[in-house]
Parts: sequence; C-alpha cells; structure tokens
Amino acid sequence: MLPGDPAKSGVRDPRLDPASIAALEQRFGLDKPVFINTAEPFDTQFVAYWRELARGNLGTSYEFRNASVASLVSRALTNTLWLILAAEVLAIVLGTALGLVAAWRRRTKIDAGALLFALLMWSLPTFFLGIVLLFVGSTWFGLPTGGRLTVGADYATWGAYFADLGRHLLLPTLTFTLALLAQYMLIMRSTVMEVFNEDYILTAKAKGLSTFQVITRHALRNAMLPMATLIALNLGFVVSGAIEVETVFSLPGLGLLTVDAVNARDYPVLQGAFLLLAISVVVANFAADVVYGWLDPRVGEA
Amino acid sequence: MTATTTQTAEPSPAEGGDTSPDEPGAWQTFRRNGVGMTGAIMLVVAIIIALFAPLLAPYDPYESVRVAIDDIYQAPSAAHLLGTDDGGKDVLSALLYGTRVSLIVGFAAAAISLLIGGFIGLVAGYYGHALETVLMRITDFFLVIPALVLQIVIVAIVGQSLRNIIIVIGVLGWTTTARLVRSQTLTVKQRRFVMRARALGAGDAHIIRRHVFPLVLPLMLANTVLVISLAILSESTLAFIGLGDPTVISWGQMLNFAFTRGAVTAGAWWALFGPGLALLWVVLSATLFGTALEDVFNPRLQRHHLEPELPQARRARARAHNHADEPVSDALLSVRNLSVEFETALGAARAVDDVSFDLRRGESLGLVGESGSGKTTSVLALLRLLPPGGSVAAGQVTFDELDVLTLPASDLRALRWQRLAIVFQGAMNALNPVRTVESQIAEAVRLHDDGVSRKAAAERAGDLLASVGITRSRAAEYAHTYSGGMRQRAMIALALACDPDIVVADEPTTALDVMVQAQILELLASLARERGMGMIMVTHDLGVVAATCDRVAVMYGGTIAEEGPTAEVFASPQHPYTRLLLEAFPDIDHPDRALSSIPGAPPRLTNQPSGCRFHPRCPDAMDRCTTERPPPYELDDGRLAACFLHDPATVGSGGGSGDG
Repeated sequence: MLPGDPAKSGVRDPRLDPASIAALEQRFGLDKPVFINTAEPFDTQFVAYWRELARGNLGTSYEFRNASVASLVSRALTNTLWLILAAEVLAIVLGTALGLVAAWRRRTKIDAGALLFALLMWSLPTFFLGIVLLFVGSTWFGLPTGGRLTVGADYATWGAYFADLGRHLLLPTLTFTLALLAQYMLIMRSTVMEVFNEDYILTAKAKGLSTFQVITRHALRNAMLPMATLIALNLGFVVSGAIEVETVFSLPGLGLLTVDAVNARDYPVLQGAFLLLAISVVVANFAADVVYGWLDPRVGEA
Repeated sequence: MTATTTQTAEPSPAEGGDTSPDEPGAWQTFRRNGVGMTGAIMLVVAIIIALFAPLLAPYDPYESVRVAIDDIYQAPSAAHLLGTDDGGKDVLSALLYGTRVSLIVGFAAAAISLLIGGFIGLVAGYYGHALETVLMRITDFFLVIPALVLQIVIVAIVGQSLRNIIIVIGVLGWTTTARLVRSQTLTVKQRRFVMRARALGAGDAHIIRRHVFPLVLPLMLANTVLVISLAILSESTLAFIGLGDPTVISWGQMLNFAFTRGAVTAGAWWALFGPGLALLWVVLSATLFGTALEDVFNPRLQRHHLEPELPQARRARARAHNHADEPVSDALLSVRNLSVEFETALGAARAVDDVSFDLRRGESLGLVGESGSGKTTSVLALLRLLPPGGSVAAGQVTFDELDVLTLPASDLRALRWQRLAIVFQGAMNALNPVRTVESQIAEAVRLHDDGVSRKAAAERAGDLLASVGITRSRAAEYAHTYSGGMRQRAMIALALACDPDIVVADEPTTALDVMVQAQILELLASLARERGMGMIMVTHDLGVVAATCDRVAVMYGGTIAEEGPTAEVFASPQHPYTRLLLEAFPDIDHPDRALSSIPGAPPRLTNQPSGCRFHPRCPDAMDRCTTERPPPYELDDGRLAACFLHDPATVGSGGGSGDG
C-alpha cells in the first residue's frame, strides 16, 4: 500500500543472496498476497495483520529489528500520556482561571494583559517556544537539553531519580502548558462573558449572593460546558503539540517515535502509532461526551 | 432583559435599510481598533518584504559559497547584521527570502482550505437533512484527528516539494471553515428576505449566490486570516521536523538546521531567534488582524452583570418639589427623584428621569407603560441591580429607613430577596439550567437564614413549590423539563422563599398564553394578600393592573405621567397620555367602543424631546409644553398628574382633560 517499502529496498541490496531474500520475505509475510488470495482467501497480508492485531501483536519494527512494535509503542505512549496529562491539567486550570478573571475584570489592565499574553502564546509556534525555553533553561539555569533522564546516570535513591526526571520534564511541560493555555483562556473568557450576561446570573445576584458565590455556584458550571467540548475537539491539536515538544526536547514519546518512524520509513511502527492515536482520540471523545452529560442535565433528554 | 437595553441596542447592519447615518461602517470601526491596525500594518510589512526580498537582502542565500570553519555561526556584525548560520550564510538574507515561502504557503494553502471548507459548509448548511449530517460527521472526524500526524505521513509519502506541502496543508485545513460557514448559512437561511426569495421561487443557486454568500463572506474574513496563520504554522512545523522542501529556504528549515546542528550549544541565539521571531511576527500579525476583524463583524458582548457597580454619578439631594419633600409617613419603600442613566455609544441616555413613588406595607402598586418607558429600570434600581452600563444619576431610595443607594455591599445583599424579591420576566432564562429548581430555592432560604439545615431548606423549597401548584415529585427536576407556566410559578415560589416584605413582578406573564396568565396573576395576588406582602407589578397590560393593584403609576419616556388609586385613575384619567392609553385598551364593559391608537412613537432614550416628554404626541399640547417640564401637580383626591393642564396658575383657562 505504501511506497518506499524498506524490506523491498533492503532486498535490493546486492550483498543479499536469493535465499536470504526469501527468508526475509517470509519473516515479514511479504510472500503472501496483500488483499486477495483466490486459493486461500484468508491467507493474505491484510488478514494476517488483523489476526495478529487481535493477539496484541503489532508486528516488528523495521528499524529496530528485534523490537516488537507493541513494546516500542506502549513505552512511548506512557511517556507521552504523562506529558499530555500534566500539561493539559495545568493548561485547563490556569487557562480557566485566567479567562475567568479577564472576563470578570473586563476592559481593565488585567483583561488587556491576559488577552495580549494569550494572543502572543497562540501565535508562537510550539516548537519555537520550546527552543526558546530550552535555550534559556540550558544557558542560564543549567537545565538538561533533552531526553527523559540523564544518560548513564546511577541513582542512589528514588528521590534522586525523580529529581532528575523532574529536571528533564520541567521545560517540556512548561512549553506544552503555555502552548495549550492560550486557547483555553480565550474560549473561557468569551464564554464567561456570555454567561455573566445571562438572566440567571441576575437572579442569583438579586437573591443576595456575593459575586464570588454567583461565580462558583451559578456561572462556573455553565461556563465549563463549551470548555468540555473544546477540550475534546482540541485533542488533535494536543497530539500535534506533543510531537513538536518531544522533537525539541528529544523525549522518547509517541510523537518522537512517529517522526523517527517516518524518517526511517518504519511502517509497522507508524501503523502501530497511528492505531494507538486513533483509539486515544475515540476514547477521549467518549470521555468528553460523558463529562458533558454530567455537566449539562439537558443533554440526553431533549 | 430589560426594555431599556433592547431599546438602546443597535440595529443589525446586515439587515440593511434602517441603519442610521451616524452609525460607523465596518472600515471606520476597524480603523479605530488599535489591535487590528497593528496587525494589518505588520502584515503589510511582511508582504512588502516578501515582494522585495532580492532588493533588501544583502546576500543571495541561494548562491553556494565556499565555507570556511570560521564562517559558521558568526555573531552579528556590520557585515552580517544577524550573524551567520550553520552553513556560514547570512541569517538576515535567508530570513528575508524565507518570508516568501511562508506567505506563499499561507495564502495558497488557505485558498484551498477555504474553497473546500466554504463549499462543504454552504452545502451542509443550505441543504440540511442527511447531507448535512454526513458532511458534518466527516468534518468532525477531520477536526479531531491530529492534522500534523497526517501531514507528516502524507508529505513523507508524496515527497517534500513545496507544491505538495501546500496541497497537503490546504486539503487538511478546511474543517474550521466548514463549521463556521455552515452555522452562518443556517442563520442566514432563516432571515426573512431569504425566505421571501425562496417563497418567490428563486432557484437555490441564485439564492446562495445573491443572498447567502454575500452575508456569509464578511464573517469568513476573520476565519480566512486564521486559516492563513495556521497554514504558515503548519509549514514551519513540517520544515522544522525535517519535512520541508529542501530546495527552498524557509524559516522552519532554518530553525531545523540551526537546532539540529548545534546552535544551542554554540550559543548562536541569532540563528534560532531570527527565524523564530520572524515566524512570530507573521503569525501574530495575522492573529491580531483576525481578532479585530472578528470584533468588527461579529461583535462580542461588551458588558455583563458582574461588572463592578458604576460610581453613582451624583447623589443629589431631592430637588425641591411640591411633592418630593413630603415623605409618606407610613411608606415602607420610598423613591425620590430617581434618575438612571445608561452609557451608550451616542452618549448618556436617561432611561429614568426624576421618578418618585411610595409603597406602604401590604400595598400593591402597578407600574404601567410602553416598552422603554423606564418601568423595569426603575424597579431594578431599587436593589441596585441595574443592567451593565447603567447607573443612578440622582435620587434616593429609602427602604424601611435604610438608604439603599448608599448601603454597604453586605447590608445590600442581606436586603436583597429577604426584604425585596423579584419575579423576573422570561423565567426560562431566569432559572439556572444546570441546577435543580429545588436547589435554587433552597439556596435562597439558607443564604438568608444560617440556622436552616440543608434538609429543612429542601423541605421548605418543596412546600413553596407545592403552594404554587408544583408537585413535590418534580421539585428536584431542572427548569428545562418544566412548561412555561410552571417555570413562571417556580419563579414565584423562588421569590417567596424568604417571605419578603415586597415582591416585584416584572412582566410576570408576558410569554405565557392567556389562560395561564390569569392563573399566575391570581396566584401572585392571592399569595401576596395572604402573606401581607407589598407588591409592585411592572406591566404594559392595563387589565393586569386593574385586577391586581391598589394604586397605579403610569410611566412615559422615563417619567411618571400620572399616579393615583387604580379605580380613580382608570375612571377619570387626568393626564392626556393616560386617557389615550385607556382609549387604546379594550373595555369589557363597553365592547362596542371604538379603539384608538396613539399617533407617533415613544421617544428614543438618546433623543428625548424637550419639555414634556409627551408633547409631540399630545393632542392638548400647549406652547410651554415644548420647553418646560411639567412638575407633578397634586390633585384634590390625592392623585398626581404631570401636566400643565393642572397648573393651578392657569387652571380653568386651559383645555379640558378628558373625563372618561
């Protein structure tokens, strides 16, 4: 299906004798037809792919000949998930708070400052933001320039291990948080402004609630509805951001794995990474639907 | 929510026709937007640089030169203003040339995206049904899958030429446009003139081309700028990852080379920050420009209910009037010379002007008038709940010896709801959609009485709902499951939660059908009577006042025209406006009487007539009415009428007031 088949190009290597080529082809199942086999309808590469997939076998990497795709991808996924999770939580909390304050203090210096900050962060390419932080962090603060842990380090204690991990993850997380924060802040600001103008906010105020009570008891949940949608829709953007951040900081995550796999034309890995991304997007959207239903009682009854 | 805000709202320019000449056009609005102008100028600078790069650049970055090891990563100097890169080339020259690639990719890819997205959005929005469902599902799918991953894979497969990159970015970037165009098309489709064109048999192609597209286009403008900036970002990201066109110089590629070839460790900040800041320049210019366009074509709400209160412009003591200085001794609520102003684009608009009235304990007062007469604004001012932008310009509100307008915030909150509660109009939106009705009532109970347990408060909420005819089994439901009448009754139950001394009903039955209207009014009046509550009924419906109120105040153009006991005012109106208003209202006792309407229209808040507000429409207007404001004249039976017909100095010589 995809061009630039590495096994084929490997096969073209003049140093290989025909027996080795056959062995290679058999090992990767390339001797079988791709889709249609009239004699044995189920003995095709396509069926084999699904059969192996059902067993949790995503194939073998072309690049790292002895590593299974499943193990490569799952290790990378764990790293990426932690990065995404930390940055998303931070960005949502900070973005929501900043957007709320900006909307509440509309047309003040706080609002203008928050808006300018968000527009600036939104306009900064994530990878460039990463480079700036990396440059500054490594030059002036002695932070590591990449990787997840110091190569070849021996850790006397768990504390030392986590300190090293933290030092490595500080800048990527900060970069990612800043990159995601802008959009959340902007959406929250405009949503809150709309919610604050609703009649039920006037009712709440008339009841004698303080501004703080009106916000926490009546405005916040309504304002979080569009945020829940945005967070789900934003997932594609988040994954793209993860690729950029992992590339800049050489973090062994799914993003870096994808980029490396593309450059090495390592299709089994690419396929595995793709499959995982597709599953995560579906799962995240489902989760968002559940959260939305919980936030908004009108869903599901209309 | 109030009559005043609807009155001051500007007409939608898109509808065309009645746009007033003093309303600024899109360009004028944009020009005053500093953010937008900054973005536009930044963008123009970038375009000029792209066009004249060969003239501006000191070196030709495409020329191959022999590189000595000392040429690499030279710090900025006179010869190389921004230093040299990993290949010993001039960074500034490469930057200037890179502008071309960024802008070409941005504009070309955006054009593709807009064509695809615009087409899909128009078709989905215009034709609707299954086609829309399918197209929007596809759009949603493409929206959530990570575009960058697809771009990486496809570019890797089809080859890294600039043309391929443009096509890939363009083809994958249409989703936001499709969603926006669809929703705009849906709104435009329901506009009256589009429906009219359809009813007249115009073809779909004609309607889309002539009616829908021109209205959707300006709203696409801001989106266009956004799509361009996203395309530029995508190209630079691809190039940074190593998937750029190797034959052209782009900022992403410069960053890739510098970053992967030791610029960080060499401390060559110029090789990194140069292309990075150039990217920021272009994307930021587009973002600022787009944000401003969005503000111009799709203006956001400017104000909201939780803004800090505006400072009271002037706490003028009540001006000496024959009426004002006689506070009714047994009044629970006393309003003196109240004036309310709103900030508008055309200056301050006086929505309420010198209004005074009193309410005794247990008494019911009707405030009647057309929309925009200031009745809702007057009652909202009582609890300092004016809509955003409004402030009390003068006057005094005394509630049980408390000076409401100067009360500290905590005392004011204690006063609200516990002493004076409001049944808001349009209960659909006055109840919080994500909290149960019961919890909203219980909240008010507990807020004003700490001693009540959560359980007892819920119990009391159930009792209150039962008293307005809503069964307990439905108490814990959300407002959206209630009918319109139920919501209004729930709103009444909420208003009664703290047994207030006065309940204000603001057009409590406007949105309801006649049968339900009668029920609600009866319920409200009987509950008020039972509990000995005072009531202020704000309405344009004279029948409601006749049925429920002891006294009535007729408002016109922010002033009180006439005030007195309901029966007497209705029997013999003493102000020409009251008389005409009553003649315009059907009388059940005289069904054969001809109904008349008052010629002319109520005044605009920003353009009030001089003298008596009613004189342009008044059949009895005299010369002095055009220049002088008539004060409220006290009549024999304790009534007040603000009309020179009752000036004791001239009475007897003037024309007769109509005795109904």
